[in-house]
Amino acid sequence: MDNRLEQDALIEDALQNYPLAPMPRDITASVMARIHVEKRPALVTWNDVAIALVIATIIGAMFIAFQNLPPVALAKLRIQGILLYQDILVNMRWLIPAVLFGAAAFFSALAIPSLLKMTTDDRR
Amino acid sequence: MSATETTLIQRAQKGDQDAFAELVTEHQRYVFNLALRVVKDENEALDLAQETFVRAWTALPNFKGQSQFRTWLYRIVTNLCYNRLPNLRRSLNDLGDDVMEDIPETNFDNPAREFESNETKQHLQQAISSLDSNYQLLITLRYQNELSYDEIASTLNLPLGTVKTGIFRAKEQLRKSLAHLEESWITA
Repeated sequence: MDNRLEQDALIEDALQNYPLAPMPRDITASVMARIHVEKRPALVTWNDVAIALVIATIIGAMFIAFQNLPPVALAKLRIQGILLYQDILVNMRWLIPAVLFGAAAFFSALAIPSLLKMTTDDRR
Repeated sequence: MSATETTLIQRAQKGDQDAFAELVTEHQRYVFNLALRVVKDENEALDLAQETFVRAWTALPNFKGQSQFRTWLYRIVTNLCYNRLPNLRRSLNDLGDDVMEDIPETNFDNPAREFESNETKQHLQQAISSLDSNYQLLITLRYQNELSYDEIASTLNLPLGTVKTGIFRAKEQLRKSLAHLEESWITA
């Protein structure tokens, strides 16, 4: 048995003929019993419906409230809004490229996992 | 994947439990054996096999058929094994990937089989069962579940080189064990 090829053949043979252990019992019945209890998650859960309803109600309430505000109050709100964000409005010309570059960086980062996968596949 | 199996999967995806029961019956032995080789405990392996099929049922609508159904099942059972044995994943990653070339596999009908004594056979089978869990996992996927190296790499989410290295090292351990047996014959 000093021949390496012969050893390899013996090992390969042992590996290929290594017996499968018999099943102690059939698990089909117990799996099916658990499946009856554990239902598949639905595409839309009750939680999703509740959250959607709350968000829709808030948006609807805001819309109705703005529609029914007296014109003076609406104008005051608009002025307050402009005052609050005037810095941003003044510097908007800097904000636009910043947002664009930010979006470009974000989308480039999204491509990193696919690029890594491609590199790994190439290595394979 | 045979046409019958594809039909069974499609039916099970639509909620047909009888079709899924047939899939469980078909694949349970391989799933159980894979779990058994890793956790080395019959009850725990049965528990893992059941859990695998329950998870498979839940996730079946997401199965797109990009891989084989059995490979998909082995991925689920392997992930469950990773949860049970936290060191398993690390030990697989630590194998490295120094064996990148193809591992030659000896022909099944090699004449060496004729010389194989029962003692050698038993000794090798004992050596296989005493391999570490990480090697057991690789060997079982390769030889009992008959997956290709690529399929094993994809199932375990490991680089191909690591899979080849693991199988190569497992065989090296078996070769050493065989050498010990030979030495014991010489000294006897």
